[in-house]
Amino acid sequence: MLWIALYFPALSLDWIERRFPEALIPAIGVTVRKGNQICIQQANKPAQARGVMAGQPLASALAVFPDLVIMEQDPREEGKALQQAVYAALRFTPNIAVQNNGLIAEVSGSLKLFGSLKKLCQSLNRVVTAQGLQLSAGIAPTATAAWLLARSAQQGTVINGKGEEFRILLDALPVGLLESAQPHLEVIRGIGCKTLADLRRLPRSGVARRFGPDLPVELDRAYGDSPDPQKWFEAPEDFQQKIKMMGLIENAELLLVPAQRMVEQMCGWLALRHAAVSAFSFVLHHEYSLRQPHKFTSVNIRLSEQSSDPAHLMLLLREHLERTKIVAPVCELELTADEIAAGADGNLELFPTVQSGTTSLNRFIEKLSSRLGPEAITGLKVISDHRPEYSQRLELSGTGGLNCFSKREANSQIIPPESPRPAWLMKIPLELKVQRGRPVYESPLKLLAGPERIEAGWWDEVAVARDYFIAENNQGQLLWIYREHNPVEKDKGNKGGNWYLQGLFG
Amino acid sequence: MPASPPSGSPAPLSLSQIETRFRNRIWRGDALGASDDPVISSGFQGLDKELPGGGWPTRNLTELLLPTEGLGEIRLLSYALEEITRSERNILLIAPPYIPYMHAWEHLGIDGRHIVMVRACKPAERLWTLEQGIRSAAFGTIIGWLPEASQQATRKLQILSRTAASLVFLFRPARARFEPSAAPLRILLSPVRGHSHTLSLYLLKRRGAPFVLPIRIPLPQAAVFSRSAELKSPPIHSYC
Repeated sequence: MLWIALYFPALSLDWIERRFPEALIPAIGVTVRKGNQICIQQANKPAQARGVMAGQPLASALAVFPDLVIMEQDPREEGKALQQAVYAALRFTPNIAVQNNGLIAEVSGSLKLFGSLKKLCQSLNRVVTAQGLQLSAGIAPTATAAWLLARSAQQGTVINGKGEEFRILLDALPVGLLESAQPHLEVIRGIGCKTLADLRRLPRSGVARRFGPDLPVELDRAYGDSPDPQKWFEAPEDFQQKIKMMGLIENAELLLVPAQRMVEQMCGWLALRHAAVSAFSFVLHHEYSLRQPHKFTSVNIRLSEQSSDPAHLMLLLREHLERTKIVAPVCELELTADEIAAGADGNLELFPTVQSGTTSLNRFIEKLSSRLGPEAITGLKVISDHRPEYSQRLELSGTGGLNCFSKREANSQIIPPESPRPAWLMKIPLELKVQRGRPVYESPLKLLAGPERIEAGWWDEVAVARDYFIAENNQGQLLWIYREHNPVEKDKGNKGGNWYLQGLFG
Repeated sequence: MPASPPSGSPAPLSLSQIETRFRNRIWRGDALGASDDPVISSGFQGLDKELPGGGWPTRNLTELLLPTEGLGEIRLLSYALEEITRSERNILLIAPPYIPYMHAWEHLGIDGRHIVMVRACKPAERLWTLEQGIRSAAFGTIIGWLPEASQQATRKLQILSRTAASLVFLFRPARARFEPSAAPLRILLSPVRGHSHTLSLYLLKRRGAPFVLPIRIPLPQAAVFSRSAELKSPPIHSYC
């Protein structure tokens, strides 16, 4: 077993700070009631710079800096922030135990997937830090040891106690970190025990009698001498997260950071369920006011292929957000996974295969249609018709036409390969001027081949009867032109109809 | 105190030693450049012979300068495109000037189901789409029509193309030949007077010695045209 413990020393501050846009974080102090006095429990960096310190009575803190933003410690909000961190961390391992102000993750099964312990630990730290939490981490073969190491580590650092090293590291830890030693700290210090090693040197039965049976058990668990069962975090059946914003936000750019956090959480939740999302919605809740009727703006995103890749989902969300007009200031964000499908997470393929090609095509289509609009990207479907205008159909990507390549139709070959067809078609045939009986496009045209009669469509509204020619102009362009064929007109002595340019031989 | 030179300092290498040691990283200016990048044959012997590596280079930007459409530009690429679709890979067309007529493409052996077309009007959108297409693993060939592209834009595309295993073609107007471009291969297409099914190619830029003479290549399907030219009475395709 290998455990990574993450400890959030400043959780009570972090959950407040992360609700502000990064550039606008004010000086914040979190207060806690001690007896009949209210004290500053933690102060953030701007507050510390102004002279506010942890442990100060509130009155003296306000005397030092009157504009201090004061928040009471809120265990519920802290729990929520912790839960969100757990969600994000679920991407790396399904086995996570929640602690007070931290989490312990069992990662022995994830090492291979993420490369190595170092890489795994780095990405875990990065993802959880991106949730707006400051952390310190510890690695050890037992859960309790990892947790103790994490708590003893400097903020932003990792103590690696892999292998047998962790016992040596544990030996040097102060007794004060142990949970069950808290009521007896005075006495333990009084008898000269400073570190865990000192405590372990004392006779076990005496320690148990004097300080309660929990203390030796906790020590045993930390050193791996007795089993250490953990209660795993259980994720709910559906995913819906809300984040309140401290300010009123009118700029979509500023929504991206919290949106990114929520997407990361969703992807962790999806990873735990081996699922992928095929539709999700992002709701911007507006501040309630009588003057503006909009309560919320909803951004619904449907994927052509389910995905659980945070980078891809974020990209889609970003493109959609950029096109969304924010009608009123936003005070709360909500992300819901609407439709979940079984995760088709690709194996790590050595060579690109057709399967991965299809996946990346779908991704590409989604990316493009979220920026250029769904009608910008099309495939072309061949239809059996001799009339060029009706012989193919643009297929929108959203209709699934591109996703599943249909069988190549045998009858798409109705136009025999002997009759030349141009690679390019004009959208609408261009009527050509006629000079001295010769049609003109850029220059008078020289007819090279033809005519080829195409007469079809009498069964629907748009019957055509045309004589097609291949022509060349001075610039060397090969053109596909036609003249309308009208037997009735011809009988009247009128020599054929107008000339049109329909295509170019690219 | 000056450090004494290390006793076993290497003797200066001779030119041939240098060349053998850095074989893949040096090319002589007079030789046709060779590269490790895989190529896809253009299908025309005369052209393959003059292209570095012997075909259209993958992982590189290829600029085709075209005075006007309808000279046979798709037929020039048709062998490579056929090869791409035969290996089940897709072709991305970005902002083509006209609608591709799939029946004609099918006649050239190109599987129309593998063609994806993107409409993008603004130059910035075209560039963005090109970048996304090159980044995506979905496409074997990316063909973009870029009337206007700055040198920075082509450089960015070329750097991106280095990472992708696909053919990237840019169709640009002939006037762009006087603008600098980062594409390592630039070819000017022009028609041959009196020969409708021949295209002459000027290699404006390639790795290796410059090649001044135009290469004349006969376009495929010329036989089809001449055969149909013989037809005097119109064949009638109708369901009467």
